[in-house]
Parts: sequence; structure tokens; C-alpha cells
Amino acid sequence: MITSILLLIIAPLLSIFFVYMAVTEKDLLKAAAYSAGQSIAYSILLQAMSTPDIVMTYIAVSVGLYSALLVFVISKTERFER
Amino acid sequence: MSRRIIILILLFTATLIASFTATIILNPATPSELKGLAKYYVLNTINETASPEAVTAIVWDYRGLDTIYETLVLYLAIVGGLAMFKMSEEALLKTRIGLTLLSKTSTKIVALLIASIAAAIVFHGHLSPGGGFPGGSAVAVASMIIIPVFAAGTLIEKGVSSTKLVAIRGAALTALGLVALLPVVKGLEIVTNQRFYPASILGLPISGSLSLYNLFESLAVASGFTAIALYLSIPEEAHKGGSGA
Amino acid sequence: MLEAFTYILIIAVLGLNALVSIYGIVYGRSLVKKLISLTILSDTVLVAVIFAGFYYAYPIVPPVYQDLAGAGREFLVKHASDPLPQALVLTGIVIGLAVNALIAFGIIQAYRLAKTTDARKVVEVLSGVEVTE
Repeated sequence: MITSILLLIIAPLLSIFFVYMAVTEKDLLKAAAYSAGQSIAYSILLQAMSTPDIVMTYIAVSVGLYSALLVFVISKTERFER
Repeated sequence: MSRRIIILILLFTATLIASFTATIILNPATPSELKGLAKYYVLNTINETASPEAVTAIVWDYRGLDTIYETLVLYLAIVGGLAMFKMSEEALLKTRIGLTLLSKTSTKIVALLIASIAAAIVFHGHLSPGGGFPGGSAVAVASMIIIPVFAAGTLIEKGVSSTKLVAIRGAALTALGLVALLPVVKGLEIVTNQRFYPASILGLPISGSLSLYNLFESLAVASGFTAIALYLSIPEEAHKGGSGA
Repeated sequence: MLEAFTYILIIAVLGLNALVSIYGIVYGRSLVKKLISLTILSDTVLVAVIFAGFYYAYPIVPPVYQDLAGAGREFLVKHASDPLPQALVLTGIVIGLAVNALIAFGIIQAYRLAKTTDARKVVEVLSGVEVTE
């Protein structure tokens, strides 16, 4: 009981940090990495809510495919936001 | 301390203090039991769909038509992206040099492990958590790490072209539509499961059409995202030189 | 009391994350930054949909039976997580990825034509109309 409550408190606080850092970062590659960190925080929250179907899809899509997509797009365009 | 960190700490404290005060003032009653509709699904999933997994039962049986239309949206989005990104195969063939032998060998092992886990997710999707969408995404992750390491040109030489991938997607989508349409022959509704498809074959529980849907959906998702990765992995210089534009 | 605190905290955090990512979509200069903010916003909305079906039970388990005979039905009705939002979100995640890939292809095409990803300059180059702040 206490672990699930603790996860429900820690994961949202972690997600605030990553979302804020991702949105305010000027280096887009770092922003993509922070976005992956936000996905991990949300995955912890979803696992605390006991939804394994979503966690499986969400980890693969959000940490794996979104990061790869963003890195490819940044390598084809420009890295820094002016 | 930059301005960014100060605003972040302010956001943290503001959220915590606001939630504390709201809890003390309002003290809301938290939900403590399942909602009515979800209760129906959890109670009846085994009798009505022969699947012990309520989520897959809802995705492909109770709300099967929704999911088939969403697969159509997925198909159109990926086809639109590939059409916008038009690229000749000669341009793809120019990128033939991958990474070193060490990274190639380790990538082979890791990709094989990911693919076997994805197969387990797909083929057990109607019995345990998992199914077509998670399995297809896992296969796409495996191809997403193979393509940059081995270079797109090498893969195209071995016969993995984007046209073939789009063809696989089209075939998977057609099979999905056929599985949905087949019960109409016997005068049943579209996307009928238990009244048309058997619950098990040779003692293997397949939960009617659910395992077929999972298989074809994972094929569609995996080949679609592999095609996207194949197109994205070409460097811009190869594109400019090869297209002749 | 602790349960009520986590309930309010998660609602507050999801609202805050949505606001921050909307700020990123509106005020971000680079199109890629706007795309990253858009993925964060869509993830936040999907987690909010899951949270709408959440309830406090100890232990909370996935809505999956252990065997095909349907044993443990009473336990599952009291302890299973809500399957309906999960089914809706499952498709939403994958479709969202496909649509965002379409947007990413559009950004790359815009960069090829305008040689920049700055949203205002892209509009200036492609349409010839000067954008004021």
C-alpha cells in the first residue's frame, strides 16, 4: 500500500521537472532527452495505476520510437533554437 | 542559479502547497470501486469473448469497429508522410556504410532478443497483457536500432524496400478487413467474434478472432514504422545528390 | 487523507504539465520544439484519460483472469484497474505516433525549402508575408 502511494507522489513530481526542462531547453537534442525522461516518469505513474498493456506500448513508443524520430529530425534540420 | 532553476523550484513548491491546502480544505472523497460499465466488461469478458484479458476484449470485440477505423487512420497518416517525403531508391542505395563490426554483431543479438519478446507479446496478447499494438511497436523498436547501424542501402540490397513494407501493410490491413467482414457471409453482424470464430483450435485457446486481429495489427504497425525509419535514416546529402532535383 | 492528497496532486500536476506544454507550443521558436511540446501534451492527455478510470484498491491488479475458467471473479471486480480507458488509450498512443511522424516529415520538408526551422522565418520565406511580433 505504502509503495503504491509513494509512487503516485514521486512520479508526478518527477514529470514536472522533466516537462519544464524539456520545454525551456534551447538545445533541441537535450530537449528530446528530457522528453524521454518525462515518458519514464509517466510510465512509473501508469505502472502504479496497474495498467501493463499501456505501459508496454507506452515504453516502446514514447521512449524508443519518439526519441529516435526526434533525433533523426534534429540531425536533418538544426540543433539549436535561436 | 539561473532564472530557469528558480522558476522550476517555484513551480514545485506552488504545486505541493496548493495540493496540501486543497486536501485540507476540500478533503474530497476518493473513488474506491470500479465504475459500472467497467464492472460489466470485467465480469463478462470470458463468457462473451473467450478472452481472459479485458483490454484486448474491448479493443477487438466490444469496440472492434472503432479500432479498425483507427487502423485506417494510422495507415493514411503513414502513407501521407511517405508521399510527402518522396525519395528515389538510388538515393537510398548511396548510404551503404554502416557502423563497425563490433556494433553490428551486438545489434544483431539485441535485435533478436527484442524481436522474440515482441513475438511473445503478440502471440499471448489475448491471454495476458499485450497484443497487436505493443508487439508491433516493439518490432518497430528492433528495426529502429537495426537501420542506423547497418545503413539503409545495405538493407535495400538485401531486399527490404519501402515499397515491400507498404505492400505488407496493405496486405495486413486487407486481412484485418477480411477477418472483420467474414461473419457477414453467414448473416451475422460485422466484427462478430464468438458466434462465428471458434474459441480454441486443437486445444489451443485462440479466443476467436482476437488472436488473428492481434497478428495482423502487429504486422501493420511494425511495417509502417519500419518504413518511416528507413526513410528518416537517409542523410540529406544523399537525397540532394540522388534525386537530381 | 493521504489518498486524497495523491488524488489532488496528480490532477494538479497533469494540469500544470498541460499548461507548460501549451506554453511551449505557442511560444517555442523552433518547429521541432513545438513538436516536442505537442508530444508532451498528448502524453499528458492520455495519462489523464487513464487517471479518470483510476480508483484506490490494495492491491490493484490488471484486469486479467488467471485461467480460462473464470476463477477469482469476485476478487477481480474489487481489485482490477478500469479496462475501458486503457483500451481507448492503447490505440491513441500508436495513432499519435503516426500523426506526429507525419508532422515531422512536414518539418523536414519546410527546412529543405526555407533553410530554417524558426516558425516565423519559415512563414516569411514560404509566403513572402512579413510576420510581426
